[in-house]
Amino acid sequence: MTESTLFTIAFALYVGALIVYFASLFVRREKWTRNGLALAAAGLVFHTTALILRTVVSRHAPFTNMYESLSFLSWAMVLALVVFSRKARVPRLGPYLMLIVVGLVALASSPLMPKEATPLVPALQSYWLWLHVSVTLLGEAFFAVAFVSSLLYLASDTEEKKERLDALSYRAVAVGFPLFTLGGLVFGMVWAYRAWGSYWAWDPKEVWSLITWFVFALYLHTRIVMGWKGKRSAIIAIVGFLAALFTYFGVNYLLAGLHSYT
Amino acid sequence: MRSAGKFFASVKLAIVLFILITLASILGTLIPQGRSAAEYAARYGGLSGLFVSLQLTRLYQSFWYLALLLLFGLNTVVCTLSRFGPKCRRAFGPMAATDAQNLMTLKVKSRFRLALPIDAAKDRIAGLLRSRHYILAESGRANGIILLARKRRMGLFGSDIVHLGLLVILIGGFTSGLGGRRADVPLLEGQTADIPHAAFQVRLDKFETEYYPRGEVKDWKSTVTVLENGAPVLTRVVEVNHPLAYGGYSFYQTSYGWDWERPRLELEVRKRADPAFSKTVALKVGERMPVDDADFDHVVVRQFIPDFVIGEGNKVQSRSREPNNPAALVEAWKGEERVFGGWIFAKFPDFGQGHVAGQSALAFVLKKYTAAPYSVLEAAKDPGVNFIWLGCLLVMVGFFLAFYWPPREIRVVLDEVQGKVEVTAGGQAAKSRETFQSEFDRIFDSARRPA
Repeated sequence: MTESTLFTIAFALYVGALIVYFASLFVRREKWTRNGLALAAAGLVFHTTALILRTVVSRHAPFTNMYESLSFLSWAMVLALVVFSRKARVPRLGPYLMLIVVGLVALASSPLMPKEATPLVPALQSYWLWLHVSVTLLGEAFFAVAFVSSLLYLASDTEEKKERLDALSYRAVAVGFPLFTLGGLVFGMVWAYRAWGSYWAWDPKEVWSLITWFVFALYLHTRIVMGWKGKRSAIIAIVGFLAALFTYFGVNYLLAGLHSYT
Repeated sequence: MRSAGKFFASVKLAIVLFILITLASILGTLIPQGRSAAEYAARYGGLSGLFVSLQLTRLYQSFWYLALLLLFGLNTVVCTLSRFGPKCRRAFGPMAATDAQNLMTLKVKSRFRLALPIDAAKDRIAGLLRSRHYILAESGRANGIILLARKRRMGLFGSDIVHLGLLVILIGGFTSGLGGRRADVPLLEGQTADIPHAAFQVRLDKFETEYYPRGEVKDWKSTVTVLENGAPVLTRVVEVNHPLAYGGYSFYQTSYGWDWERPRLELEVRKRADPAFSKTVALKVGERMPVDDADFDHVVVRQFIPDFVIGEGNKVQSRSREPNNPAALVEAWKGEERVFGGWIFAKFPDFGQGHVAGQSALAFVLKKYTAAPYSVLEAAKDPGVNFIWLGCLLVMVGFFLAFYWPPREIRVVLDEVQGKVEVTAGGQAAKSRETFQSEFDRIFDSARRPA
């Protein structure tokens, strides 16, 4: 099987998971939620195989262009869903996170994204590419979990639900923030130092990852020191994810800098 | 002084600074940084003067942005220090007064009686706590004993270690900014260059560009030798992502090109009247090359352009450093008479004949053009960089402690009551209370019912 076949199967399973998940919201049966998760996990297996195959064939890390990194980000989000769905006891996390995943995978599959693996320009030939991009995107996937649970928080009515969503959002930030710091900022600085000779150049992508970092630092300080919880926390987490999304996506298309490789 | 301390110790200031630094940083990504005055004038018109005077065009180096960062650093220091003392007391200090009544108000608690002598009861509970890596402190009281068990005390200091790391990074950044040096060192093969402010030289032995099968650049490789007092010390290949570190400097492969100022050219001369005639002339730019022929006696190339284009004001210029459209301005002379003069193009051999030099009896073809490749290395000295790595390490260790090393504390009061020992225990954990509850239950279930 080729990488694109596996990717298509994964896509189909994700769409299936999305449908079953949304059905679970209406029939309100735990079984349906479990089936949705099972489909998403099955999709994750195919997606993982597709990523490995692409790596073997192209002989470089599977996140060197927009198609590849979108695919990896959606993979990481499904992984985050699988990690969190057991403990979180938030049945609505699955449906809404999968909605984002399916959106990203659809965007990756769209004809707008060139899919062929291109040879790497000299600056990208480094094992830091693996460390920098994979850990950053993994961190952003957990920010996506915080984003979804924060949105659900704003939309939910009962105190019990709210408490769970608030806790889930914090837990996701507690995983995502260290990963984002390590991958995006620390590994990014190490790589920049090796490739360009300076660890920080105030390139727009660098500045935007710093901005994202400050937003989540604000989230933690207002929450832990000032005791903000609930609504205000949720809003900061949402802004933080949007900043992360802009760092990842918007900067490439809207602002020019060192990181525009394509 | 005191109120200044309070001002800097407040988390509110930290939050205001987070927001201000974020907004300022966003502004700096919206206004392109470090461009020419003309570009700003074209882009922003009348506002450009204001932007420049507010230093918005080099915002991240501006006085006010650096002041914000300094304030942020100061705030971090004062905030951390002001909370450090109480935290130390909590982690390492002596026990606060504890009584059984207080413990029973905690969420995680247990109370039971043991038919044992008090010392035996204490030893059993202490053993169970120690087996779960708690560090114990003991104090006596009337008819009883109090045990204080703590573990993962470093978890309390996670945020302080993060703050220390950030401070070290900030110090590193300012050190780099003030003490860093960087210079481009362009080198032709065989050329040696002095490194500014350093007691050594570098020589480029070889420079290669590697290509993928389809023609994209795969890598640039400069073979470099470091010389001290003229003697070679070491030879290394510098590639993108593989810098050379020597004598406090790092050398990076940053750019490349060809020395098109001094190309070696080969021209083929033809005659319109004689199709069988062909003569090859090899020469350099500006060189007057004599030719033994009846129609002309010497050839000169006045100018060579690797990527010919006619720019503004009909000025001839090169679009790039790549030999995409090589062109030479050629003249042929017979005594004082110019018998040929005009641009010839390697990629368009017929172009010149029809136009510029169409009237001449001679025709020239630009056969070969080669130039020595050169490599540009960046020599950088960054005294701040080790601070940065140390700071990053501290930040990550601090994150681990703050998020995943939650401190736990259990207090146990043992009282002798009616020949038995009444045990009252209560616990507190900063995070993951469920796992703490189950650990607590296991300890005191075993204490109650020995196996």
